[in-house]
Amino acid sequence: MSIKGGGFNRKSSASDKIPDSSLADIAFLLLIFFMVTTVFRTDKEQDIIWPQAEATEKIDEKRDDILNVWMTQAGEIFINDQPIQMSQVSPLVAPLYVETDQRLVVSIRSDREVPYRLIDEMQEQLKAAGVVRVVFATELEQRMTRARR
Amino acid sequence: MAVLQKKSKVSDEIPSSSMADIAFLLLIFFLVTTVFPKDKGLAIVLPEPNAEDQEINPKNLMFFLVQPDGRIQIKRGESEQLQTIEANAVEATWRQDYSQNENLIAVVQTHPEAAYRHMINVLDGLQTAGADKISLQVQEGG
Repeated sequence: MSIKGGGFNRKSSASDKIPDSSLADIAFLLLIFFMVTTVFRTDKEQDIIWPQAEATEKIDEKRDDILNVWMTQAGEIFINDQPIQMSQVSPLVAPLYVETDQRLVVSIRSDREVPYRLIDEMQEQLKAAGVVRVVFATELEQRMTRARR
Repeated sequence: MAVLQKKSKVSDEIPSSSMADIAFLLLIFFLVTTVFPKDKGLAIVLPEPNAEDQEINPKNLMFFLVQPDGRIQIKRGESEQLQTIEANAVEATWRQDYSQNENLIAVVQTHPEAAYRHMINVLDGLQTAGADKISLQVQEGG
């Protein structure tokens, strides 16, 4: 009644090769995805902790028309990787605003612990430069992570 | 003529065995260099530099006072009465008051030493509730 050879010797008819004919297709698909989503030329991310907000929305603006203003917890301000003083913000931003035909949107990327005094001064500087469209950059807050509203 | 008819021994196919390698090389390059854009946030429109001050009926104002410790107090119109609320109650409070007065303007008055995130919490609540007339101010005198 025993099975001949323990039943292990029978050769499988399935191929033991991993099919690789579609490998190039997969690679190209990924390649095209990354080519499309890649953006070169961005300024360096400063080390900040983002504030969170539920109403966070995507800013539908051309990347060239968005200017990032970084404000770190230590109170430093960076525009295009350059550390600058608060009083220099307005003279620096005003010409950029004219260059972009007034389409410029300033994204304030501030650490969540920065005292509001600095944020207010920044708004005054931007106002003086004529920039009226401002975004407080935030991270999307998931409804789950927050106690019930 | 005879020369032209001789079959070439060279293959007429483009060698494609290294195509996957090329694709992967490019893929890795783009993988490494990709930075996903992070253009998200709460959009606001600041007033024009020399905008005229407008007279607003105080009863159309609703003040949200953000204190340094993160407490939020609301003050309605001319009333001096302060009511302390939780950050997550801003949305519901606004909805309720707005349903009674459609001309209501939200005034967020933040203490100069209050952390940015406390102000963002209030602004978030207001924007979630669909408020479009929001004024951002700093508390005078600290």
